Formats: sequence, C-alpha cells, structure tokens
Amino acid sequence: MVRFIIIRLLQTVVALIGIAMLIFVLVRVSGDPALMLASATHTAEDIQQIRVNLGLDKSIPEQFWIFVTDVVQGDLGESLFKKKPVTEMIGAALPNSLRLIVPSWAVAMLGALLLGVLGATRRDGFLDNGVKFIAILGQALPGFWVAIVAVFIFSVTWQLLPTSGLGGIDHYVLPVCTLGFFVLPGMMRLVRSSMLDVLDSEYIKLARIKGLSERRIIWKHALRNAVIAPLTVAGMLFAMLITGAVIIETVFSWPGIGFIIVEGVLARDFPLVQAIVIMVASFVLGINLLVDISYAWIDPQIRYQRT
Amino acid sequence: MPEKASDSETTARPVVSGLSRRARIMRRLTFIVPVTILSLMIIMAIFADLAWLGLPDVGLAPYDPVKMSLPDRLMPPFWDEEGSTEHLLGTDKMGRDILSRLIFGARISLSVSLLVILITSFVGTVLGILGGYLGGRTEAFLMRITDISLAFPPILVAMLLAVSMGPSFVTVVLAISLLGWAAYARLIRGETLRLRQMDFVAQARIIGASPLRIMLRHIFPNVINPLIIIMTLQIGLLIITEASLSFLGVGIPPPAPSWGNMINDGRNLVDTAWWISTFPGIAIALVVMSGNFFGDWLRDKLDPRLRQL
Repeated sequence: MVRFIIIRLLQTVVALIGIAMLIFVLVRVSGDPALMLASATHTAEDIQQIRVNLGLDKSIPEQFWIFVTDVVQGDLGESLFKKKPVTEMIGAALPNSLRLIVPSWAVAMLGALLLGVLGATRRDGFLDNGVKFIAILGQALPGFWVAIVAVFIFSVTWQLLPTSGLGGIDHYVLPVCTLGFFVLPGMMRLVRSSMLDVLDSEYIKLARIKGLSERRIIWKHALRNAVIAPLTVAGMLFAMLITGAVIIETVFSWPGIGFIIVEGVLARDFPLVQAIVIMVASFVLGINLLVDISYAWIDPQIRYQRT
Repeated sequence: MPEKASDSETTARPVVSGLSRRARIMRRLTFIVPVTILSLMIIMAIFADLAWLGLPDVGLAPYDPVKMSLPDRLMPPFWDEEGSTEHLLGTDKMGRDILSRLIFGARISLSVSLLVILITSFVGTVLGILGGYLGGRTEAFLMRITDISLAFPPILVAMLLAVSMGPSFVTVVLAISLLGWAAYARLIRGETLRLRQMDFVAQARIIGASPLRIMLRHIFPNVINPLIIIMTLQIGLLIITEASLSFLGVGIPPPAPSWGNMINDGRNLVDTAWWISTFPGIAIALVVMSGNFFGDWLRDKLDPRLRQL
C-alpha cells in the first residue's frame, strides 16, 4: 500500500510538471504575450520594457525554469490589471466560490440519491418518468439560460429573491439551486442505473427472502452499493462543478473564482488566468490521487496491478 | 475480411416484441422527432445563405445577421401587438433580426461541433486502440492522461487560449478538442481490451498479422458502432459547451451570431425583451435533446451493451 501511494504520488508530480509545461505553451502559443498587452499607443521601447518586466527577453528554457520555480514557491505573479499578487486575489475569491460550490454539491447529491432511488424502485411508473424527464431537460438546457430564466421569474417578476451578489441566506437560494440543477441530472441517471443493477443482484434477493422490509432493503442494503457509482465519477463531477460555478458566478455577479477568471479573460490578464488554471489543475490531480488511493484501499486487487 | 465480433452480433438486436403498442410508438417518435429537428437545423446551417455558391443574397435567412438598424430595435415577435411580420421573431437591442441570427447561429454552432467531433474522435480512437491493444506502459501512461483530461474543466482551457490567442472560431474548436478526445479514448480502449481477448484476434495473430494490421483491420471495424454512438451523444454536450463559452465572452466573438452570445445579448433585457434570450435558448435545448435522443436510439439499435454512456 505504501509503495502504491509513493508511485501514485510520483506520477502526480510528473503530471503536474506536464500540465505546467502545457499551460506555459498555451499562454505563449500566440507568439509574443508582450504584443497582445501592448496597445496602439505603446512605442517599441514600451513593448521592450513589458518584455523585460515579464521576463520574455530570456530564452525559452530559462523562462520555463523561472516559471516552474516561481510556481513551486507559490509565487504566481501579479495581476496585470489590478496590480495585486494573484495569490491574494485568489485567496479572497476562493472562500466565496466554496460557499457556493459546497452547498450546491450537497443539494445535487441529496437530490440525485433521492430521485435516483425513487425512480429505480418505481420503474416506469409516474415518478420514474418524471425523474427521467427532469434528467433530459436538465441535460438539454444550458445552465446559464436556466439561471437567467430563474432570475427573471423569481427576482424580476415575483420579486422574491435578490438578483445577484453576496448577502444573507436569500442570496444563496438561486445560485445554489441553479448550480445544483446543473450537476444533478447526470448524477441522478447514474444513481438510477446503478440502483437498478444492484436491485437485480443476488444479495438483495436474499434480503427479500429473509423477509426484511422493503424500505430497509432499499435504503440500507441497496443504496450502500449504489452510491459507489457516483463516487467513481468524482473527477468529472468536480469538472462539472467548476464549469457550472464559472457560469453561475458570472450570471449572479458572485465574487468567486469563476467571476474573477472571466473578468481576467476579458481584460487579458494572463498571470491571473494562468494562476487559476494551475490551481484548478492541482485540485484535479489531487482529487484523482485521492480517488485512486481510496480505490486501492477498498479493493486490494488494484494495489497489485501494474502501476 | 475482418471478422465481426460475434458477441455484439447477438446482443445488437433489441427486444422489440415484448413492448406494448404505446411503447413501440414512443420508440418510433424518439427517432423521428430528433432526426427531423437535426435535419432542419442542418438545412438551416447549410442554406442560411448561399455565399458558398457565390450567391450571398439568396438564402433562408431573411436579413443579414449582423446588419444593425437602430429604428427597428427591440421589436417583439410577430404575434405580439407591437410586432410585425417583417421580423418574425423580433429584433435585438441593435435592431438585428433574431430569426436571421438564429439561422446563422445554427451554422456556427453546428460547424464548431462537427469540427470538434471529427478531431476528437480521430485522436481518441487512435489513442484508445493503441492503449488498449499495446497495453503495458503505453496504456498506463495514456490512461493517466485520459483521467486527468476528463476531470479538467474544458472551459478553463478555453479561457487560457482566449487570453493568449484572443477569442475566435479556431480558439473555440482548439480549446474544446484539447480535452475532448479523452471521452473517446476511454471508451475505445475499453472496447479494444474486450476485443483483444477474442478468438479472431488471436487467429489473426497466429496467421502472422502485424499489430498495426490487427488494429486497423480487425479491431477498428469492431469499434465503429460505439464510436458512432458516442459521436452522436457528444453533439449536445458540444453545443452547450460552445454556447457557454460564447456566453462568457470567450467563444465566438461578436458581432457574429452564436446562440450563446445571443443569450448574453438579451441577458439584461429579460424583463423588457424576453425574446432575445428565449429563442436561442429554445434552439439549444431542441438540438441538444435531439442529439441525446438520437444517440440513445442509435445505442439501443447498434449496441445496447453501452447503456452507461
């Protein structure tokens, strides 16, 4: 197990370096970042000055080395637009994002488990068809459109909830529900199908023969195995939550990571955008690592496979 | 001749006889309606104008999608009292015809999706077959990259590219493709692993076929069905991704009409001019649902094993 963890850790470090290289290349893919920052009023000397400031006058391997050592030391540069260290900006925005993402995740998971199980146990019934309908709709409607329509209905027409920004609990309702709805359908489909598989298995039949109550069979014995399926897609779930958060934060002017990255892109503030992408990439790798280790912990077979 | 995998032969026939009359009609409908909608959208995209035939003034779109006309701004759809049949679905805040923008938007959204599907399915299939057939370190390495790519939000890559290259059609296609191949690679690798165990592959190897030949002539023909299914199921996802990017201002740059940036145009006007955001929203939902239903139908028809897709 220790050996497995060490190998996986090393692989993660290698992957991180690979991603750093990729990000480095993508940011410089246009050729010269100094030119894209310069406006028509800049003279040739100004552009040269920008190059020196950004370290672009050095050779490519040298630039990459500086980039990597800075990142390792936690120095992600300074925002071109706000003239603040980007780590400071991210530090300020991250708690806001978490305040949005964590409750949305909880809402989506609970909803997905409840509806998925109800759909599976009442297969092809009225409720199941309703659940399927929600899933189809949820996957077809773009998240931002749902958010805009929700604002129109609940904030503009009925004036029940605030349209945007941070604030009391009422400020959370719309963003959390729309972000939750963004993730819920996919999860629900997964829970439903894995629940159907589990309900078909031998041990559930045994539980029925033993005469356990149906409620106990479903919510205790079957559910425990059916929740593993959504866990296997934890990585993809994370990607969806981040994507959703970027969109929902923009619609609701919620000052989180997604909001500042969109601002950063529109202002072409590449140190900021680059820093956020690196941060998310590290999260992605960290989650992958955790998922792998927990698998190996649950299922010893994985430990002994080639790593 | 490459031999067919007998396994998929026997399971590929869905059980229809057990279905009730109503269920059979539903099954028919889930094929006819999506295919009609998708065909209409494709016709709209192709014949929005005939500039590609040298006839820019002839086409389905009644107006130039980027032509502004401030006196006509914010006109409601024709059934509204203030609307007129000049602009069937109304106009936006710059007086541009919504219907024309919708039709040209179909061209942009569908061509982004088509290009991305072609690029990602090719890369994903090549890597998936290579990984699945060769195994060992190649496979471990490829699968690691695949896992990471699947967990990485494509929207962030798009933003990175939009910052360095500026938002454009090429940026969008590149950004979505950069991670999009992973879904194909994972599925095709799984299929290849399954096929590799089969007798016909072993027989080919005994005859002395080279690995390249086995992959091309024996494995590849047998992954075409899952490939087609996942390509169809990807349409919806791609349309939504492109729309989201354009909505955030990192996709198709205005004034070019894309469904995503049309929704963005109407975002702050939902209370006074609901039609600006609503029609592109409906268009997206229709295409995505059609793509998903058609994909599901294809899957049931071609390869019901792949239920989890």
